[in-house]
Amino acid sequence: MDEKEVREKLRSYITRELIRDESYRLTDDEGIVTGGLMDSFSLAEFAVYVESEFGVYIPDSDLTVARMNTLDQMVARVMQDMK
Amino acid sequence: MNLAAILVFAAAACLYGALLPARFRGWALFAGSVIAVYVLQPALPIRYSAYALPTAMLLLIVASWWLTRDSNAHAGATTSQPLNDDVVGAQHAAPLQSPNDERYSPSPRLREGSGVRGIPRDDLVTLMALVALMVGVSFLRFIDVDFRLVASTPPEPLAVVLALLVIGAAGVGLRLALRRVSQRRALTGMILLIAAAFVVFKAEPLATALSRALRFQTGQDTTLASIADLGWVGFSYVAFRLIHTLRDRQTGILPALSLREYVTYVIFFPSFTAGPIDRAERFVEDYRALPGLRGLDAERFAGGAARILIGLFKKFVIADTLALGLALNVINAGQVESPLGMWLLLYGYALRLYFDFGGYTDIAIGIGILYGVTLPENFSRPYLRTTITSFWQSWHITLSSWARFYVFSPLSRALLTRKPKPSALVIVLLAQVTTMVVIGLWHGVALNFLLWGLWHGVGLFVHKQWSDRTRKWYRGLNDQPARKRLWVGFSWFVTFHYVVLGWVWFALPDVSQSLRVFGVLFGGG
Repeated sequence: MDEKEVREKLRSYITRELIRDESYRLTDDEGIVTGGLMDSFSLAEFAVYVESEFGVYIPDSDLTVARMNTLDQMVARVMQDMK
Repeated sequence: MNLAAILVFAAAACLYGALLPARFRGWALFAGSVIAVYVLQPALPIRYSAYALPTAMLLLIVASWWLTRDSNAHAGATTSQPLNDDVVGAQHAAPLQSPNDERYSPSPRLREGSGVRGIPRDDLVTLMALVALMVGVSFLRFIDVDFRLVASTPPEPLAVVLALLVIGAAGVGLRLALRRVSQRRALTGMILLIAAAFVVFKAEPLATALSRALRFQTGQDTTLASIADLGWVGFSYVAFRLIHTLRDRQTGILPALSLREYVTYVIFFPSFTAGPIDRAERFVEDYRALPGLRGLDAERFAGGAARILIGLFKKFVIADTLALGLALNVINAGQVESPLGMWLLLYGYALRLYFDFGGYTDIAIGIGILYGVTLPENFSRPYLRTTITSFWQSWHITLSSWARFYVFSPLSRALLTRKPKPSALVIVLLAQVTTMVVIGLWHGVALNFLLWGLWHGVGLFVHKQWSDRTRKWYRGLNDQPARKRLWVGFSWFVTFHYVVLGWVWFALPDVSQSLRVFGVLFGGG
């Protein structure tokens, strides 16, 4: 799976399941957590999704605003451990 | 940490920067932190407990380091691996971090090979230095009480040496007895042991019972036993740092640490008594960079000194002034009858708490800067936050982050993957309440702290339900600046008062007195 595919899958999941507004146009570099669109629980849900969908385990200590605030950061973190 | 200790730490930083050879800076922080563990311990009535408790803490730290050691790292591996039979690690055979991730690279020293029986020489030297410091502190008993540095008379040095030999032999025996126990289980056992010790020392009935037993052993009056006898300074912070390293070792994300790095991280003297709760991988980055630090860096010293002065002003001027009857306490809570008077006391308490704790944090961060270690921030304008969630992202940040990493996220993830999966509502409620109860009980295992934790757990749960349902509407306010300003102001008012009312539980140990205060605040008498 290439980066583009991962990015679109994550974008779709976040808008559908976490923001719960599929019409929302989520950009690559907007602050999803700092913008109030996701919270700590959403990050945990995101981690569970990433693990089931891509087989990538993200440690709890990486589920922070500093490391998971934008779609770009999330994609980079998933790609880091994708084989 | 009193004013004298702060001044000594700051003055010593000048000598550290000006005179100490760069290669000894790590050693200086290690030795200074070990000595500070004893010096910062207040006088305790039970004979020798003011010496025994810090010593027990140091031995617990050494045992935790031993359990978190990654033998692969000592053989030259580049990253710590998750333990194979770990619940998390078993699902993820691949390393959790990229080997190129510098946060997780082992110390260069760890690649140097072994000393005795697989233990690097440097760790053995550190262990000997630690024992020498422990024994050395006991010699302070021969110094005049005015110059003794420690608040209570230490035991005889010979008794200390014998006790350490017995404990060392017991440790070796325990290791042999448990050699078939997996590292994962050993780590879990240590986490449980630390949690149990925490409960015993923080729960009044248990601490009193322990005090009674110790008083009986030392031939002191058992009727005077109380929780105050066991004021184990720094243990709350040490316990959470140890659990962080033990748990991170289980999941394979703990960097390889030498004994000296580990001990210094856990008891680093500026943050020993009042935090912040740093993370090991962040701390060692600074620690390993100490030899390259400029000795007398005017910018660093000015920055550190400014931060200390700000902290001193917050703590000793603002907070201590508010504490002189202008903030809620157990005495005035029972005397004030008017709602306005009680609200003023409550606002005073909220400000006192913030300036007291925030001041200590500034001082700790400032001293850390002087020594070349940048501790994490703990506060970020918490009383200006407009939601309870953002309040907890800006109040005691390192504690709430710890709770998020080790309680909230693992619990949420475990419940989300459970079959059958509970409803999202139940998962959020359980995760929020459990996390906040842990934070509450960390302050003391007592009913008032439990209620304070529940108060915030429920607040976070309600806020999440609200924000999930109004997110679209809230975004729509971006097109209506005046309405948005009004809404933000209202949100701030509600958040601030929810937090302030929560402090009633926190401030007063007696729940019936808290209920009386709520009655007065809302005009019910």
